[in-house]
Amino acid sequence: MSRRNSQRRVLIAVTETSPVTELWQAAVEQVNNLQATEVLAVFVSDDRWRRAASLPFTREVSRASGVSVDFTRRRAEQVDDETVSRKRRQIRRLAAEANLSAAFEILSEFDTLRIEELVGAGESLLVAPSLLRLRPIYSELTRLECRIVFVETVD
Amino acid sequence: MTTENAINNASIDRFQVAVDALRTPCPPPPAAGDDVSSRTAFGQQRAVDAIRFGMQMEHDGYNIFVLGPLGSHRHGLAEEQAAEHAADRDTPDDWCYVNNFKDPERPAALRFPCGRGAEFRDDMHGLIGELRLAIPAAFEGDDYRNQLKATEQETQKEVEELWRSLEEQAAQHGIGVLQTPTGYVLAPVTEGRVIDDKEFDKLPEEKREQIKAAIQSLSEALKARIDEMPKLRKRLRERVRALDQEVVSHAVSLLLNEVREKYRDLPQVGAYLDDVERNIADNAQDFRQPETQASPFARRDSTRLFAQYEVNLLVTNQPDQSAPVVYETNPSYPNLIGKIEHRAEMGALVTDFRMVRAGALLRANGGYLILDARRVLERPFVWEALKQTLFARRLNIESPGETYGLVSTTTLKPEPIPLDVKIVLIGERWLYYLLCHYDAEFNSLFKVAADLDDDVERSDDNIRSYASLIAHRIHERALSEFSAGAIQRVVEERARRAEDSERLSMHMRSLDDLLMQADHCARQRDSAEVTAADVAEALRQNDHRLSRIKHRTVDAIKRDTLLIDTAGACVGQVNGLAVSELGEYSYGHPVRITATTRVGTGEVVDIEREVELGGAIHSKGMMILSAALSSRYAPEVPLSLQGSVVFEQSYGGIEGDSASVAELCVLLSSLSGVPIRQRFAVTGSINQLGRVQVVGGINEKVEGFFDVCRERGLDGSHGVVIPHGNVKHLMLREDVVAAVRDGQFAVYAAADIDEAVTILTGIEAGERDGEGKFPEGSVNRRVEDRLIAYAQSRKDFSDHEADHEPEE
Repeated sequence: MSRRNSQRRVLIAVTETSPVTELWQAAVEQVNNLQATEVLAVFVSDDRWRRAASLPFTREVSRASGVSVDFTRRRAEQVDDETVSRKRRQIRRLAAEANLSAAFEILSEFDTLRIEELVGAGESLLVAPSLLRLRPIYSELTRLECRIVFVETVD
Repeated sequence: MTTENAINNASIDRFQVAVDALRTPCPPPPAAGDDVSSRTAFGQQRAVDAIRFGMQMEHDGYNIFVLGPLGSHRHGLAEEQAAEHAADRDTPDDWCYVNNFKDPERPAALRFPCGRGAEFRDDMHGLIGELRLAIPAAFEGDDYRNQLKATEQETQKEVEELWRSLEEQAAQHGIGVLQTPTGYVLAPVTEGRVIDDKEFDKLPEEKREQIKAAIQSLSEALKARIDEMPKLRKRLRERVRALDQEVVSHAVSLLLNEVREKYRDLPQVGAYLDDVERNIADNAQDFRQPETQASPFARRDSTRLFAQYEVNLLVTNQPDQSAPVVYETNPSYPNLIGKIEHRAEMGALVTDFRMVRAGALLRANGGYLILDARRVLERPFVWEALKQTLFARRLNIESPGETYGLVSTTTLKPEPIPLDVKIVLIGERWLYYLLCHYDAEFNSLFKVAADLDDDVERSDDNIRSYASLIAHRIHERALSEFSAGAIQRVVEERARRAEDSERLSMHMRSLDDLLMQADHCARQRDSAEVTAADVAEALRQNDHRLSRIKHRTVDAIKRDTLLIDTAGACVGQVNGLAVSELGEYSYGHPVRITATTRVGTGEVVDIEREVELGGAIHSKGMMILSAALSSRYAPEVPLSLQGSVVFEQSYGGIEGDSASVAELCVLLSSLSGVPIRQRFAVTGSINQLGRVQVVGGINEKVEGFFDVCRERGLDGSHGVVIPHGNVKHLMLREDVVAAVRDGQFAVYAAADIDEAVTILTGIEAGERDGEGKFPEGSVNRRVEDRLIAYAQSRKDFSDHEADHEPEE
């Protein structure tokens, strides 16, 4: 996408921990409001844990059990791949149910060029989980004056 | 073999039965009355009194067994009496099963005054409809949503506060808390970026150790917060549940109060409604589920959720009804006790309180239940279950498999229902006596026996009542009007059916058949009135339909295939009379009985018994006639006779002693050498003293011989000898009576063996004179002389044998 493309578009910022269904519902609402023609789900990849995984002493504490295990690069990649696949499938299914077309792409939150391309288009609107405020990408989005609809989610 | 003797008919005229005694006509019956009670009780006063007694007795065990043959109107009588008594009893209560929320496998029984059970069912059904709207509406309201949101936000704040404090603590040590999809990671951070391995390696050793120590320390704090999360979630759930309960209770109580108010007089119902309210509140969150589930494996849906508050109305009665009278024609276990139905669901059979079904016992609760005893005994498990229920006076609806421990799957055990029902069992007499004999519990449960009479005395009063009964049954079956002559003819036929000119049969099915068939004959000739001729025609047609075998027998005799002489005289040969029964049709026909005698050891051989074709009673008759023979003749000498008696051309079993007169006569003929006139047939049983006793089927027997003689040509010589005691039983066909009146046929009655012998031989049997001697030339004298001669011969033979025995 480029600035030249002025189609009305709704972006969905998907993170590793955000619930896709709630974000999708909010996005569909905005599609109707804006009479948007396109939905793009952007998986905002958190490279912080890739970096953390490079440290030999990093451990992951399970949310379910509280047990901690080594958090290696391999583990980080595996978690990342599985998460991306799952989110992509969910978006595809929800789009099919809503009879909408939706694209899916992975975005590094430090890829400012791509971020600007995506949100720079004047008609675009971003639906994002509230916890995105805590992520580095949020400052870039603020700088670009991106219109954001936050969805309160319990992660 | 056959020789004609000179016969002095005049010597037997004194034994001839008068024509008027052959068929006692019915006088014109007076007008039938309209007294229903006397009509239903007519002829069965004893049984009716017994039924009334049983129905009035309210103590345990006073159930009723109506004894009577098929077609004796036993069902009608029982139903009429039950209906009469039911009208005086209170209308029984309604019974429902409802869900037992504490133990759903044991549905609870609710009792209502008559009619209110159905009302309650409808009220609860309506309430459920209201709840289906009210509960979701309550959850969809802004109030609820705002409260729910506030509750969730409160918890969210607590969660955020937990993490915020951790993040602050971590930040003080330059550590960031990162979330992964499955957990949390602690990593060193500088200027908002996580330090990777290369950057970390560039840090001073001391700094690296500080970071490691901080992460180690923070890991414990992280773990503590993770442990705290389930508690927070649980607390949130509890708050939401409390909120849901509050919302649902408010919505439900308003609706329930209306029902509660209506049934305030029934505390048990009020308690149930409290349970309903409590259960809905306890399970409030279930009602928040969407209406439909996409998956067929969905555990619960709203229809089923609400269905648990439905009411299963088992039995209901209207206040203006009398107590129930139930006649269960098929008393199988489920039809009698009730059943628990199942439905297949995902390959398993499931059930609930709504699938409990009432049986006849519950439907008749508070009233009368009429059952066929034989059917009750034939159906598996029914008799035992019925007895257990009557003893317990409580109805347990459960499957027989459950009762007898044959199945181990979980099923329902509904709360027993108190039972107050009067059982009227209907069965034949033999069944009643068998139960009395073999079932020790029977008499404790069925203390009243209502024994139906087979017939009534043919008095003027009874004829009037009988005519009323006939008129009633004609009216009930919407038959054409019967003329007085037709009713007279029917009454006469009822006497014939009773096999007694002085009694009238109370077998109602055969009466109905005759009435309907006579009506049919009248309709066939386009007559609006049934006449005596129609009744006679109905009887003729019925005989025609059923008499194929009878006509084959007569034809076989006519063609000398079956050897029966109807003329001439013969020594050692007599025409006996037998009755063959083919289903409900019976007919008489002659049978040839022959006898041979010679010197012997005093034994009369019954060939039928020897080949096991004779029944026990026949054998008894033969032994009695042997005893009669030995006691009457030459008592001072040993009976030195070897006789044999046989039913010629008889290839089936013979039962009864009604041929014992014929058998003794033929033996006496053989001994005396006096021929028996073959134009006669004889029937009757004999006792040891030579008296002739009554037999059954007398009309059929006389008519059987008459039919054979008529086929060969009646010439005025033919006749039948019957026991004197049977004269009162004569209700002969009109053609037989006409033949007798015309002198073409005769019926003779014998009181003892001497009279029978006199009639059959035409020679006086003879009585002993003052010296104990029979008259010279009489039959008895000849018999005695022959027996003395046999004894002498036997003695001579024994002496001769002794003379020629070798000496030792």
